[in-house]
Amino acid sequence: MAVIVWLASALPLMAKTAEDQLGREIQIPDDPQRVVALAPSITEIIFALGQQERLKGTTQFSNYPAGAAKLPKVGSYVRLDLERIVALHPDLCIAIKDGNPKETIERLQSLNIPVFAVNPRNLETMMQTIQRVGDILNASVKAKTLVQAMRGRIQRVDALVASIEQRPRVFIQIGISPIISAGTNTFIHELIVRAGGINVAAGQKAYPHFSREQVLALAPDVLIITSMSRSGAFKKAEADWRRLIDTPAGLGKRIYTVDSDVFDRPSPRLLDALETLTRLLHPELFEDGS
Amino acid sequence: MNLNSEHHISRLAWLSLILLGVLLIAISLGLSIGPTQSGLRSALATLFSPGESDPVLYRIVWGIRLPRVLLATIVGATLSLGGLVFQALLRNPLAEPFILGVSGGSAIGAIIGILLGLSRFPGICFTSFLGSLGTLALILIMSTGKSILRKDALLLSGVMVNAFCSAIIMFLVSITQDARLHNIIFWLMGDLSASDLPQVAILGAILIPCFVIVFVFSHAMNLLMMGKDMALSMGINIRAVTLVLLIVTSFMVSATVSFSGLVGFVGLVIPHLLRLVLGPDHRILVPASLFGGAAYLVLCDLLARTLPQQGEMPAGVITALIGAPLFIILLKRSRK
Repeated sequence: MAVIVWLASALPLMAKTAEDQLGREIQIPDDPQRVVALAPSITEIIFALGQQERLKGTTQFSNYPAGAAKLPKVGSYVRLDLERIVALHPDLCIAIKDGNPKETIERLQSLNIPVFAVNPRNLETMMQTIQRVGDILNASVKAKTLVQAMRGRIQRVDALVASIEQRPRVFIQIGISPIISAGTNTFIHELIVRAGGINVAAGQKAYPHFSREQVLALAPDVLIITSMSRSGAFKKAEADWRRLIDTPAGLGKRIYTVDSDVFDRPSPRLLDALETLTRLLHPELFEDGS
Repeated sequence: MNLNSEHHISRLAWLSLILLGVLLIAISLGLSIGPTQSGLRSALATLFSPGESDPVLYRIVWGIRLPRVLLATIVGATLSLGGLVFQALLRNPLAEPFILGVSGGSAIGAIIGILLGLSRFPGICFTSFLGSLGTLALILIMSTGKSILRKDALLLSGVMVNAFCSAIIMFLVSITQDARLHNIIFWLMGDLSASDLPQVAILGAILIPCFVIVFVFSHAMNLLMMGKDMALSMGINIRAVTLVLLIVTSFMVSATVSFSGLVGFVGLVIPHLLRLVLGPDHRILVPASLFGGAAYLVLCDLLARTLPQQGEMPAGVITALIGAPLFIILLKRSRK
């Protein structure tokens, strides 16, 4: 009898089997009520899906949208605080493969907390991620609408860029000391190419390091620094570059600082990044006021 | 003689009990303090009667705090004992695995193991052990000869070995450009947060036999401290004893490094305090160092977990903040 009561109380909680984006079969609640998002991008996705009521905890730099900042924090996404996660009594954690330490994810599972891992690697898989998260949070329709809107925006950029004649050489700096850029297998590379540019840091290494001299040798036409609003160091980096490169090809006028949160996080805001980048690389496409 | 040894045993028993009590208090504090306030009583209730407790608190105490506190216990005991053994064998009160560079050598081995994608045990433990043996050999070669008894020669060679190890570590870290980087840097500073209970059990199973071996040799260490002639006349095979103890100690240290990174100065602070209080008898110092070092690291880790508002810092930061100034004081005193 006791067993039946126990089963009855346990079953509705763990009713779904889902396959996450790492191909693992996991048991998740039918209707998750206490979700902890283990990266800022996942927090943004959950808010974009309108499911923030379910969200009970996020990570340290989850600062967007405004509502996310008020939620309890469980450490940073590379350095999660297990105790804070467990104390929130989550019925589902959503993790990201590129960033969350594997050991922490395994320990959460050994503590009987289901972890659904997502693995967005480019714009296409990022939209799949949004759909999958929508599915497990019972917001499939909302996710579908969101993804369709995103596809529409990508197509508009593709159509604009199709008419360009010249692709500028672009260097995006995502770290100051050392100088770090993004190789071929990254979101940033995809954004540059889609926005009609050439990524001069393209290559096997995902996040290659450069010296100043190497950057100058690459002779980029446009230099973009992704800056965290919380650090003044990036403004200084921009000023340093201006001093260094004021001669070749008028580069001095094409050094920009953009918000790294928008460019780094695999969330719906990557579309904002794509549109911003297209404007920076091809201002001529927007001159007629469109 | 008989009376003497009876007196010795009762003194040993009393001291062990007292230090064990200190250790138990430290462990209770470590189990009951954390970002979720639970209080001492409910944390201990959860530990002893898990069935009746709040499931969230149960997971926190059993799944998160207990493995961490036990890891701090074992690592602290090992490092403290390691310091004691090095100080006896090298007849130098400032010798310690971290200062000598043995920990640094283990770290190089462990990082290579991590980069090769080996498992924690036995893979990384083994590469880490090889690294520690390598630096140990280097230190011994550099400091032997006429200068063996000179403190400065040994310490200087340790400083140089350490600098060399840091350079290699920085080299390895800077050629790695992947997500593991962040974790390696945190681990390098002495991180006790990454292990679960089965892993701590493995570490315990490796280390406890080593503790026993060192304890068996504690009388030999006393004789070594009295000088070579004394040891020889008492029938001690100096070379064999030294070799066994050095290898066992390096093995212990490298095992802890591969689980918890570089936690420095525990082996300096604790044996020193204990020698001041208890005198030079290693038959008492060995068990005392085990309990004392364990309690010390559990408390340092507690500080590391509770001092920062957000997140936590590595325990090695705290042990170095306390240990390094003490090292300078001791060095100045020993010069006088």
